[in-house]
Amino acid sequence: MINSFSMDWYFITLIFFAGMYCMLVSRNLLRQFIGLEIMSKSCLLGVISVGAKTGNLALAQALIITMIVIEVVVVAAGLSLLVKNYRITNSVDIWSLNNLRG
Amino acid sequence: MTTSLLAYLLIPLFTAILIPFAAKTRRKLADVLANVTLLAGLLNISFILFNPANIALSFSNITEDGFALLMIFIIYLVALCVTFFSSYFIGDDSKVNRVPYYSLIMTSVSAMCGIVTTGDFFTLYIFVEVLAVTSFALIASDESGKGLEGAIKYFLLTFPASLFILFGIAFLMLTAGTFSFESIKIIIASGIPAGAVVFSLSLILLGFLIKSGVAPFHAWTPDAYEGAYAPVSAYLAGIVTKISGVYAVIKISIMLRLFEIKAYHTAEILMFLGMLSIAIGALAALRQKELKRMLAFSSISQIGYIILAAGMGTPLAILGAIFHLVNHATFKTVLFLNSASLEKGAGTSDMRKLGGMEHAMPWTSWTSIVALLATAGVPPLSGFWSKLIIIIALWDGGAKTYAVLALLFSVVTLAYFMVMQKKIFFGNPTEASRNAREVRPAMLAPVVVMCLLIAALGVFFPYIYSYLVETIAARIIL
Repeated sequence: MINSFSMDWYFITLIFFAGMYCMLVSRNLLRQFIGLEIMSKSCLLGVISVGAKTGNLALAQALIITMIVIEVVVVAAGLSLLVKNYRITNSVDIWSLNNLRG
Repeated sequence: MTTSLLAYLLIPLFTAILIPFAAKTRRKLADVLANVTLLAGLLNISFILFNPANIALSFSNITEDGFALLMIFIIYLVALCVTFFSSYFIGDDSKVNRVPYYSLIMTSVSAMCGIVTTGDFFTLYIFVEVLAVTSFALIASDESGKGLEGAIKYFLLTFPASLFILFGIAFLMLTAGTFSFESIKIIIASGIPAGAVVFSLSLILLGFLIKSGVAPFHAWTPDAYEGAYAPVSAYLAGIVTKISGVYAVIKISIMLRLFEIKAYHTAEILMFLGMLSIAIGALAALRQKELKRMLAFSSISQIGYIILAAGMGTPLAILGAIFHLVNHATFKTVLFLNSASLEKGAGTSDMRKLGGMEHAMPWTSWTSIVALLATAGVPPLSGFWSKLIIIIALWDGGAKTYAVLALLFSVVTLAYFMVMQKKIFFGNPTEASRNAREVRPAMLAPVVVMCLLIAALGVFFPYIYSYLVETIAARIIL
């Protein structure tokens, strides 16, 4: 059998850095959110992979379902902030958030 | 989860659900419900903490975690002060809708009680996320551009923290097979190879350091505090970031201490980050023009003291860290509520536009003098004792350079607060302060109560010390 654990973590790292690259290069707030989501999906894959490795898949699945629920709530809150900000400033550019400085 | 403390979590949650239905037509009812719930909880927890029978038995009859009880007390106290203040601060013409505002505050009180009573890392993560969501909404509750900007920065810069915590939880599952604090302590004591467990705990620690706004990760703190709706910034700085970040850092550093020499480097880095944030916070606060932003940098600097002591990790240092956490909650709440009073009374909290406010707002002026002297560590007040414990613990533990630097930056703290006091309250009245009026007595009440508490914690320090030793330090297995 192929050692799937190391393959898992190869892809998890790949997905994580894809998300990070998405956050680093884009100026659009929505794309930043998508980057964050991609990064957090790699975390969930990590938990599942560890669960499969340790033979504890039931616990890992329970964790994953809870984490997905939590993430949906967090991202919904973030998106509502983005929409309200768009209504006020009419822009989704990350560099337009420069009113607070000292 | 300590089930006997579950009521402190469930009752605010119940009120949070009740408020939107009960206060549908009469909005003022939301104020009453929130204040009554918090007052009841505060009286309940005070009865455990200050009961003469418990003091006579030197707290040996309290079987719960003393740290959790103290944190619940301070959560309820700060939340009550903020809700009482904001029930008068929110005017009738305000854009802030009372019903979701109080509902969110009650939910976050419930989440904070969950954080301090939980017994494993996964539940801790869930409650931290609940607290984060409520904070995003609370920061933007006045729907101003600044509030939204602060909330978005808070969101983008602290979301990576939860990724680190999640990866840490995954590695913990791989290496230790469990998330509960007690089992991890047992596994550490059984002498398994430390490297992997220390790595996973360090990842979780990194996540909580980002959440608490320690120096290299502090970029979100001033923006979130400055942009936030005025009473909310007192709530955030006073208790929310302390519980969501610093509490878990102290918990993990107690665990790391069990590794003795094997987790030496993590503890060393923790102490370095603490010192770095003391320095950066204090030096950046010197050149701020906006009061709330200056207080935010001061908050970073004070968190540095707590992290420094947590990194030291001896029982005396942990005790100092916990006591400084409590003191910081009291005096930072006073200072931020005073900045909110200035916004209400004079219309601005910009230091360049204010001056000579002591004639117009004497109570605000005197209470902020008490709070700033406590923050800087002037003897009769509470801040002196906690800083003294931290510095003695550092000196005892062999970190003499850090002890001397911590003492020196305490003087810088006094310097920037004196500059703030002189610019805002002393000197000649400016145009903004001539038209200023003192806020009404009900809004001064929470600030005055907090000031009395600061003085009492300092004057009755021997009793507080024996409580801290008997319920916290003696029960930390080291």
